Amino acid sequence: MRATARIALALSATALLAACGGGRLVGNEEYGTDNQREMILRQTGRNPADAGIVIFGVDRSRQQEQASGGAGMAVNAFLWRATLDTLSFMPLASADPFGGVIITDWYSPPGAPGERFKATAYVLSRQLRSDGVRVQVFRQVLRGNQWVDAPASAATNAEFEDRVLARARELRTQSAGR
Amino acid sequence: MRKILLGTTAVVTAVLAGAPMASAQQAPTVRIGGSIQAYAGYIQQSGSFSQPGTNYTMQAFAGQPGALTVSTPTGTAIIPNNLAASGVGNHARLGKFDFIAIPTVNVIVSGKLANGLTYGGQVDIVFNNESRAILPGSTNALGTSRTAAAMDEAYVFVAHPRFGQVRFGDEDGVMGGLMNSGWITGFGTGGVLGIWENFQTRQGGNRTQTAPGGLGDNTKIVYMTPQFFGFDFGVSYAPNLGTGGQHGCPNDTNTGLCDRSYAFSGATSAGIPARGGELGVRRNEWQTALRYRGNFSGVGVSATVGWIYGNAAKDLTDLGAQRRTMSDLNIWQVGAQVSYMGATLGAMYQRGDFNFFWGNPVRGDRTGEQLVLGAQYTNGPITVGVNYTNTLVEGGARFGFSSSTGLMTRGVPGVSSTGALQSTNQAMMRRWGLGIGGNYRLAPGLDLIAEYVYHSIRERGRDLDAGRAGIQDRMFTNTFILGTRLAF
Repeated sequence: MRATARIALALSATALLAACGGGRLVGNEEYGTDNQREMILRQTGRNPADAGIVIFGVDRSRQQEQASGGAGMAVNAFLWRATLDTLSFMPLASADPFGGVIITDWYSPPGAPGERFKATAYVLSRQLRSDGVRVQVFRQVLRGNQWVDAPASAATNAEFEDRVLARARELRTQSAGR
Repeated sequence: MRKILLGTTAVVTAVLAGAPMASAQQAPTVRIGGSIQAYAGYIQQSGSFSQPGTNYTMQAFAGQPGALTVSTPTGTAIIPNNLAASGVGNHARLGKFDFIAIPTVNVIVSGKLANGLTYGGQVDIVFNNESRAILPGSTNALGTSRTAAAMDEAYVFVAHPRFGQVRFGDEDGVMGGLMNSGWITGFGTGGVLGIWENFQTRQGGNRTQTAPGGLGDNTKIVYMTPQFFGFDFGVSYAPNLGTGGQHGCPNDTNTGLCDRSYAFSGATSAGIPARGGELGVRRNEWQTALRYRGNFSGVGVSATVGWIYGNAAKDLTDLGAQRRTMSDLNIWQVGAQVSYMGATLGAMYQRGDFNFFWGNPVRGDRTGEQLVLGAQYTNGPITVGVNYTNTLVEGGARFGFSSSTGLMTRGVPGVSSTGALQSTNQAMMRRWGLGIGGNYRLAPGLDLIAEYVYHSIRERGRDLDAGRAGIQDRMFTNTFILGTRLAF
């Protein structure tokens, strides 16, 4: 009975503490374990929550890994791949996955040989967000034998961004199915 | 008491009635993982030679007619009754080299509700049955294969950032591994608290350690709070040592193997849990732990104060009278560890009424105490470490129980000529060991291991090896292990 009283008092104190709020949920990985698999995974630097094979449901750890592009990428992988896909009709001048910058070379559409375009895209976020990509399109027109800067329609930038986001959403959906 | 419990309920209700919280819902995922360990061992141990004519003596164990028993430090060990038709003749010589493989398969479920509640569960299936644990008190000497599937942990959990976590099922308690500090086992296979016991034969009992995991996965309910200002608190309760489903009774006769038995014949011999941990007197097991974790300029600190308490089943006389022959399990534990730049130092001390391997002591036995020290260092793919344990407990019980008279009688100080009568012993048993090991991580989830463990048991004047003539009062082992392990 004395033991039960002690436990009841401890539980009361705990419940009062919980009522105050401000607590932090202790993750399962913060508790000790006697499970051989978990001990080995923890000791060899692998997260037990991500190891193994998902046989039912969506493997979010893989999604997160893909989204962050693993250790080699600093920006959202879906946005990065979507930007590359969207701008792939133009020749690529440079692509920096760490800075998130894609610069294309000048490109003349077959139907309009008198003008050419160049695009610079910035992937700004690690998260898949609608404001995570910015595209700037530059336009030049041929005057005589000289290419001269000309304003590009402001809507063009927004259209490119919309296409990138739509493609990113597509890639994300495809990945969730796996 | 009722007021206290009602008060608790009221406070919890008030907390639960708090503002709801929004969170992204996640459909449950079911994940399958597992591990494979393979080791080569070189073992020098005492008790490798048993001699003819000094083996087992026929002795019926309560509720198990015809079973053979042999004196061990735990009191009695049960020998399947068709291994030896008489008290003599079984003897063997053991070599020093062996291979072992230990596979496990885990099923892990996790999900999250829109109100922030995470939930899930885990089933851990192991293929590593103990040779003796597979004998469920019947005449089946062969029992189940050592590689047959057996369940280790199996529990359901629900957790909430505000209310903490509840686990229900077969799982370690809060002092049984979940919230301990100071036990350094993150190198090799765990050093002196690691896998070396798999290579040890039972003569002398070198393989039984009082380590957190040894408290057992008996079916229990666990509650652990969120962390407040670095502190979290946990409590767990188990009614008995039973695991899995069913009641534990092996046949039509009620015995100490039945989960709900609160009094049974032979209870005085079942202080140390046997038969895979399911035959033992421990009842109403409470575990509590208060843990603190913090970081001071890059130095990680973790400290735990814990308390374990459990009643004991009573022994029955031949006439059915209940006698309280065992002390309650009652242990205070303090542990702490500090980590800095890959190095971790830890220490744990516990003291109270316990025998080795978390056994309830017989009434009148000395207080048990244990010290564990450890250190480990990780640099890149390499981890090295050392740990040490020293346990002082009662050896042979000071009092013997007579089921015919119902009396506990103090043994005469000294040692009998055969050393087999425990009631005449009043010696302290010292169990100490040292483990040194290292790992080389080949890949996440895969490493190579080298480990050395020394362990010894000493009790002056007490015969610890019934298989040899004379009094063997010092048992030791040196175990060298090389191997690899993979988890996925």
